[in-house]
Amino acid sequence: MEPNDRDTTSVSVRDRLWKAWLPGVAAVGALAALVAGSLRVRPTPKAAPPRAQPAGTPGPAERAAAPGTGARAAAPAQPVRGLARTYSQSAVLGGAGSPDRFLRSLTGIAVGADDHIYLLGDDEIRVCDPGGNRLRSWQATAHAGCLAVGADGRVYVGSPDRIDVYDAGGTHVTGFTAGEKDKPADVTALAVLGTDILVADASARIIRRYGPDGRPRGLIGNQNKTGGFILPNRSLDVGVDARGVVYATDTGRHQVTAWALDGSPLGKFGKFGMSAPEDFVGCCNPVNVALTPDGMVVTGEKMVARVKVYDPDGTLLAVIGPEHFDPSTTHIHLAVDSRGRILAADPVRREVKIFSLNQTLQERERP
Amino acid sequence: MRGGWHLESARTRYLCLLLLILAALASGMLSAQYQKKPPDFGGTYSFPTPTHPEPRAAWVRTLDVAMLVAGLGLGAWIVLKRRSRDGTVLLSIGTIAYFGFYRKGCICPIGAIQNVTLSLVDSRYMISLGVIAFFFLPLVATLLFGRIFCGGVCPLGAVQDLVLLRPLKVPEKIDRALSWLPYVYLGLAVWFAGWGLHLTLGTWQIQMGRRFLICEWDPFIGLFRVSGPFHMLAIGAGFILGGMFIGRPYCRWLCPYGGLLAILSRVSWKKVEITPDKETDCGLCAEACPFGAIQHLRADQATCLACARCYMSCPQELERRGIPTGDGTLIQMQRP
Amino acid sequence: MNENSTRRQFIEGSCRVLGFVTIGGAAGLLTQRASANAVYQVDPFKCTSCDLCRTACVLSHSAVKAVNDFEKCGYCMLCPAYMDVLSKPDEHGIPTGKVCPQDALKRRVVGKVDAEDPNNNYYEYVVDEARCDGCGKCVKACMAPAGNASLRLEIRYSRCVECNECAIQIVCPDRAIVRVAAPGMAPAGPVR
Repeated sequence: MEPNDRDTTSVSVRDRLWKAWLPGVAAVGALAALVAGSLRVRPTPKAAPPRAQPAGTPGPAERAAAPGTGARAAAPAQPVRGLARTYSQSAVLGGAGSPDRFLRSLTGIAVGADDHIYLLGDDEIRVCDPGGNRLRSWQATAHAGCLAVGADGRVYVGSPDRIDVYDAGGTHVTGFTAGEKDKPADVTALAVLGTDILVADASARIIRRYGPDGRPRGLIGNQNKTGGFILPNRSLDVGVDARGVVYATDTGRHQVTAWALDGSPLGKFGKFGMSAPEDFVGCCNPVNVALTPDGMVVTGEKMVARVKVYDPDGTLLAVIGPEHFDPSTTHIHLAVDSRGRILAADPVRREVKIFSLNQTLQERERP
Repeated sequence: MRGGWHLESARTRYLCLLLLILAALASGMLSAQYQKKPPDFGGTYSFPTPTHPEPRAAWVRTLDVAMLVAGLGLGAWIVLKRRSRDGTVLLSIGTIAYFGFYRKGCICPIGAIQNVTLSLVDSRYMISLGVIAFFFLPLVATLLFGRIFCGGVCPLGAVQDLVLLRPLKVPEKIDRALSWLPYVYLGLAVWFAGWGLHLTLGTWQIQMGRRFLICEWDPFIGLFRVSGPFHMLAIGAGFILGGMFIGRPYCRWLCPYGGLLAILSRVSWKKVEITPDKETDCGLCAEACPFGAIQHLRADQATCLACARCYMSCPQELERRGIPTGDGTLIQMQRP
Repeated sequence: MNENSTRRQFIEGSCRVLGFVTIGGAAGLLTQRASANAVYQVDPFKCTSCDLCRTACVLSHSAVKAVNDFEKCGYCMLCPAYMDVLSKPDEHGIPTGKVCPQDALKRRVVGKVDAEDPNNNYYEYVVDEARCDGCGKCVKACMAPAGNASLRLEIRYSRCVECNECAIQIVCPDRAIVRVAAPGMAPAGPVR
């Protein structure tokens, strides 16, 4: 029987399709895709550097202070010369090796009328004598973050949205909620003068003034165009001197601002700068403020962790350099005792460093 | 204590991934201080809602397994029942489209060897039902029907199968020697996936953690992603160019999963058989098979990759389909 | 001959059964440990912004992008991730250099704005994902104490092809790319 021409032709065409055209097209297409991929190719990544990680791997905060990052690069290498005052470290409380060190946290420091040191950390309030020996301690409220001590020995402790008041022996006397009804406060600092309790509210970005019973007496700091301080680091610190001048850290503006108790502005000093020692570095500084008995302003900074002393006009008097503090700290809590010693609490190392004033230049130049 | 990243306490809700990240961030903050609330910026400002795109949904992953089952079923029917080369080619195109370019080749049963190994070695290693299915379903299919997975379902095999232009005959001795390689590769892959390489010879030391060698040296994944490091794309191009003239080099001499399938398909229930009881012993199928799987005029189950080329060349098969066969014309046609 | 083939079939059959049993047993064992589908994600606590996320991803435009957590962001005008604080300042004292090589970090002023003092306001920072290549310079600059650590690197699942073994994870020096459970099934127990 003769083969049917039509059938064999159709089979052979399909045959050729599967056997020649399809593989050819597939191969060309695949190679084209690979070429396209190679045009987007990046170099094969290098082998990873050796993983020399110790058991307690440092977190990002610690690693940020590694050589080469901005913090170390901005730190002044030489001690600042030509300033009116110099301080030197005279004591360290609660440091590594100390039997009474804080184990988990150190978030507040204040000095009482009798130069007793009040510390807030490990969820407790600890009272020490000027030498650092513990006198008594009691448990603080949960999430307590700041404290202040009145002239009568009363201790005021701030948790995020309330203030608790204890007497000198540690008994809870009263407490009240800070903030307004629909705007709970974020209390980051306290200061006390007489019967006025000054509450730094970082949520509303102002300072609230209360009486001893918790009755609001007014607001400080809202009389400006932005309705309050600029606080990128969400932390406001407040201090008050003996004359009733309230100092507040406007960290976003890099200023220390002064106010009267009724809220009227009295002045400000400070500006951003990465090189001049009298300027404040980084995005939000100074983070802490305290007052000396002679009315000088003490500031604490982060990123270049240092403490500086200014006079109320903004003239730089002293710099206590970054070598004393942990470079990764976000605060340096400050207090000043009646002798003018600056107590700086480092929350990362959980220690308190006490700096005493050396002879001032004027005293040195006195004949 | 920065203890936030041990996943022992991970809870899974619909947004569990996002919650894990945010919970880790929050716990890190709590270790230092109370979680700071954002301030009141004044004016009218509302926080933007950031987008955190979800990974592939669970139902899509189930669909992948369903497609695998469908592919295996279709493959068994096409190769063993319909005995159709056309069907195998279409199935190959379909698998390249879905498992290749759409799924970008991940996850595949070959790679699943490593996941299964690691899960057996370390019970804490997360392995999903989908990955388990991907590993075991083709094994079951092979025990039942032979290497139909290789035939039209594996995207890597499909690529090589479709680019095969003019297969050269590989001498039997070389073929047999090379056919040990898949087991060497399988051993290496299992070793690296389960334990990694920690060798000390005198002063010379190698420390390598667990690695997925199969994934790192996959020949065609660069093709499916249309992207990748240079060495992966070069290997892919090499296998495509080689595959045009040598039948399925990766499948026969390297694929570790193919090594497993070769063992299992020896005892499969249904096999690729060439018109049993009607053998004319003409030898056309043996010429047509590009993989040397027809030994002594019978299909060698371990090597047969179920490509259905032999059916296209068998005069008995063509007669069964009613395609008339004259003597001379037929032999002319069948040259591969 | 028949006996031989029957014996061969018997051996084949028993091997097949043995195969099924082994497969069933192994599958059963693994199914007990089966848990959620796993995907890769960056652990922001371990990441040190080494730049390998940009180059190691199998995709030419990496699936890792920087993401800003608005609840943590300080909204600083002098954002250390936006501007290079050590660069040359302009006449207002604001540094002019930018940190992001791709200019992917965008900002706009928000809140109650002081029109007379435009440099002292809150700014909202958003990462332009199309431009970001995952180099992590902004993430590094935002780390504490300089910033609030609100910027972090994240694998974006709209771009990630979900490789079985993440190529970045192989080279990451901090082991910061971890497997996490994808939405769907709960993990059975302790997971890795």
